Amino acid sequence: MKKNKRNNELEEIVNNSEAMCEFLKKMIIETLKLENVTVGEIDSYVPLFRKGLGLDSIDALELVVAIEKIFNVIIEDEEVGKTAFASVDALSNFIQKKYKQG
Amino acid sequence: MQWVETEKIVRFNEVDEWGMAWYGHYMAWFEVGRLSLLRRFDLLPRQMVDMGYIAPVINLQCDFKSPVGSGDRIVIRTTVAKPEVAALTFKFEILLKENRTLIAQGETTQVLLTTNKKMIYRLSGEFEKRIRNLVDYCSQK
Repeated sequence: MKKNKRNNELEEIVNNSEAMCEFLKKMIIETLKLENVTVGEIDSYVPLFRKGLGLDSIDALELVVAIEKIFNVIIEDEEVGKTAFASVDALSNFIQKKYKQG
Repeated sequence: MQWVETEKIVRFNEVDEWGMAWYGHYMAWFEVGRLSLLRRFDLLPRQMVDMGYIAPVINLQCDFKSPVGSGDRIVIRTTVAKPEVAALTFKFEILLKENRTLIAQGETTQVLLTTNKKMIYRLSGEFEKRIRNLVDYCSQK
């Protein structure tokens, strides 16, 4: 029962792009233990890696594991990651699409 | 944690002007340990390439605890940490053979790329199987 409720809550988030971006920003901060970064400071349209948020390849690996755990959505490699991690908004779109397929 | 041990003798040309093994050589010794562990699981660099993968080191850390000199017999101990992401972290210890004094300890982290330099976020197939065997072996109590 508890699991179903959690799934329903997750589904509500996935169905709402704004809530999804907020959720993902929180997930990024928590997963990567980013200090001195708040949800409000992350621009939804800025790249996650290098010049954008400044994340590196190990950060990508950690995010991939978190995304799989939470959404059951798989990002296989850098090529898929290029689209998925283009920005928080892109990641939200990517997960929304895959979540509905899965 | 299960460690694999390899022995070697510190060579004359590995020692600096102060009579101590030069710090850079420790990385080459780590490599000796890494290869003897990888060999057991058919994961030598060329075998990885045959499967279509490479594994470049992206992080290296080493603490130097005690010096060694030319002719000293050392033991290189190597294991792999249980990975939480698609990367391999090797742990190393170098001991003086005669009394097991800790000489140095360190670790390296490698990410996994396809031979055309595309990073992989998830392992699959034969490569995953061999890495799982390696990790399972090293995780034994």
